[in-house]
Amino acid sequence: MIELGHLAAFLALAASLAQGIFGLTGARALSGRAAHVAFGVMLLSFLTLVVAFAESDFSLALAANNSHTLKPMIYKIAGAWGNHEGSMALWCLVTLGYGAAGALWMRTGRDLFEARALGVQGLLASGALAYLLFASSPYLRLDPAPLQGAGLNPILQDPALAFHPPMLYLGYVGYSFVFALAAAGLMDGRIDRVWAKEARRWALAAFIPLTLGIALGSYWAYYELGWGGWWFWDPVENASLMPWLIGAALMHSVVVTEKRGSFAAWTALLAVLAFLFSVMGAFLVRSGILTSVHAFAVDPKRGMLLLAGLLVYGGFALGLFALRAPKLDGGKPWEMFSREGALVANNVVLVVAALTVLLGTLFPLIAEAAGRTISVGEPYFRLTFVPMLALLLLILPVVQVWSWGKADLSGLWKWAAGGVGLVAVFLLLGVGLWDIPLGAAFGLALGVWLVFGAVWELKRRAVTPGRVFRLPLRVWGMTLAHMGLGVFIIGAVVETTQRYEATLALPVGGTGTVAGWTITLKEVYAIEGPNWYADRAELTARKDGAMAELAPTKRYYPAARMPTTETAIHKTGMGDLYIALGDRRDVGGEDRWVLRVYLNPLIDLVYLGVLLMGLGALFSLWPRRRRTADAS
Amino acid sequence: MLLRSLLMGLTALLLAMACAAQALDDPAEEARAQALMRELRCVACENEPISQSSAAIAEDMRARVRVMVSEGASDDEVRDWFESRYGEFVLFRPSSKGVDGVILWGGPFGLLLIGGLIVFVLARRRKAGAEPVAPEDV
Repeated sequence: MIELGHLAAFLALAASLAQGIFGLTGARALSGRAAHVAFGVMLLSFLTLVVAFAESDFSLALAANNSHTLKPMIYKIAGAWGNHEGSMALWCLVTLGYGAAGALWMRTGRDLFEARALGVQGLLASGALAYLLFASSPYLRLDPAPLQGAGLNPILQDPALAFHPPMLYLGYVGYSFVFALAAAGLMDGRIDRVWAKEARRWALAAFIPLTLGIALGSYWAYYELGWGGWWFWDPVENASLMPWLIGAALMHSVVVTEKRGSFAAWTALLAVLAFLFSVMGAFLVRSGILTSVHAFAVDPKRGMLLLAGLLVYGGFALGLFALRAPKLDGGKPWEMFSREGALVANNVVLVVAALTVLLGTLFPLIAEAAGRTISVGEPYFRLTFVPMLALLLLILPVVQVWSWGKADLSGLWKWAAGGVGLVAVFLLLGVGLWDIPLGAAFGLALGVWLVFGAVWELKRRAVTPGRVFRLPLRVWGMTLAHMGLGVFIIGAVVETTQRYEATLALPVGGTGTVAGWTITLKEVYAIEGPNWYADRAELTARKDGAMAELAPTKRYYPAARMPTTETAIHKTGMGDLYIALGDRRDVGGEDRWVLRVYLNPLIDLVYLGVLLMGLGALFSLWPRRRRTADAS
Repeated sequence: MLLRSLLMGLTALLLAMACAAQALDDPAEEARAQALMRELRCVACENEPISQSSAAIAEDMRARVRVMVSEGASDDEVRDWFESRYGEFVLFRPSSKGVDGVILWGGPFGLLLIGGLIVFVLARRRKAGAEPVAPEDV
């Protein structure tokens, strides 16, 4: 079976090379066919890996090192991509998948351009496949096969984390096709409205899974790591945030190119950068040059190969860009105060924000090369990244109403007064009534301002309330995404500044109080799962007549000799009561259990906001409804 | 409003407090100590602040922060003490002194300024004669 999969991967490499050669020589149909063959055989190859994991075939070295017979089936399957080699196989599959999808769904009417895009995609896939087959092969056998596997890293045995890597890869790798479109457009010498219409769809198609993938990872970190937080500015998180920010900039810039023909060179550059940042993310994580809680499969040699790939891709695309960008058409004229001008501000801030994350992430490495060990963490990003984006978002509701070319500034003073007034009210309330930091009051004002701006935009465009549901889906998409930003900010500000944490050490039968919640430890007993055993605490929490039963658990995975925390979360409607079970302690001869208790207010808004952003992008991607005669 | 009730909760908590983490009596001091714990790095762990590490050394470091805060040390004094003991590595908020400090802290805003200037210059060289066109769908 595995040998068949190994052979299929070689066939996929041959087919993707054919896709590349046919494509670059302009044979659209042949290149498309090769793309479908390559995807088909790679899918087969990937399935043989999944089957080997599902069957616990430990003659496959990868399964022996990363699986275990006692694991639940879902984690056996997820184990196929829960390791370096398997995840690279997934990367190859998704790259080929986008090529096959592109061959099916590109609609520009430009054969040579589409052929070249498929060709570039084929070469990107060939590079990934060569790396898979010659530097990190998942197909190697083990003889004699061990009777038992070493097990999957226990913290990866979680539903959210089973689907986090495929989601993230759909996003990262989605930008490979955007990259291919940009390269083909540059070869063509045409980064115009037709190009932008096509590129926009693929940029959105990558942005949606990237957003959801990051959210899944964050939600997993929230409930599984047991420390109450949802974003740690960990290098691996930063590695996924950078392409997301560039992707967000691209999504806005490509619309200007689509509607007005402007920003052609810049949009092409962003299209290239989004993928380069994705590959760089993979390089940073896989090479292990960053200290990170999440990094698995650390190998410097592979890191060097990925770095070489990054340099080749980057050199090729940026060289092409330098050659062709000066010849690109400039589009329609626009003034500083116009929709175009506002989107320039959006792009400058989002790109600088991405570079800030890059600087903060790489700085410790640079300092280490100079002989100093320093750390860059949350305070740095809070003081640089956050204010930058806050300034941008502050003007969003104002500039959202601006026209292309030239804005009508007669209503500007109303918007300015409204914005300043809202911020002032929140600052006063924050200081006088709520007793929260000024930054938090400002953040709340910003969130409310964005939600208001989104609602206003719907109202403005619909003219009469009855027509709001007949607005184009793209308008809904934009406003939902911006509303999601506002919702996210409200949740993030409240959760971060008002999070409350306390530690209790209770004997069985004992009671403690945290922020009005009376928590009783009823009992602690041992339970056993398929591949773990655990201490499980049963608690009741009471507050003002409300009562909740919680059962935080501490698991121990003997195969990996590793503990994990399974937190218990009670949703109060206004936030989470979040309890993690800690160690057993001897306090003055009495046996006590440590409980870490967190109150995370409005945490759900963080995830609701991100989901709204993803949903907004999905609405924007949805094919346009056929226009009726009266709607112009 | 929220913070108030949380603070009241904290006071109640203090009465019920057992051994695990001796929170400080003064809620404001405890909040300051916790903020400091979030920006000091656990020296035995991978990329974790001491506020969220179960390592023994992190517990000692947390205790030390509380002691220093209760003795009236300023935030900077606490940071300096840890830096002198464990090196710069322990600070998640790196120093802004020196050339590298300026690059690290000034870099983002410098880039923003440069980006703004480039856009301004390019925008001034644009073709004239812009006509307002209402956005139809976005």
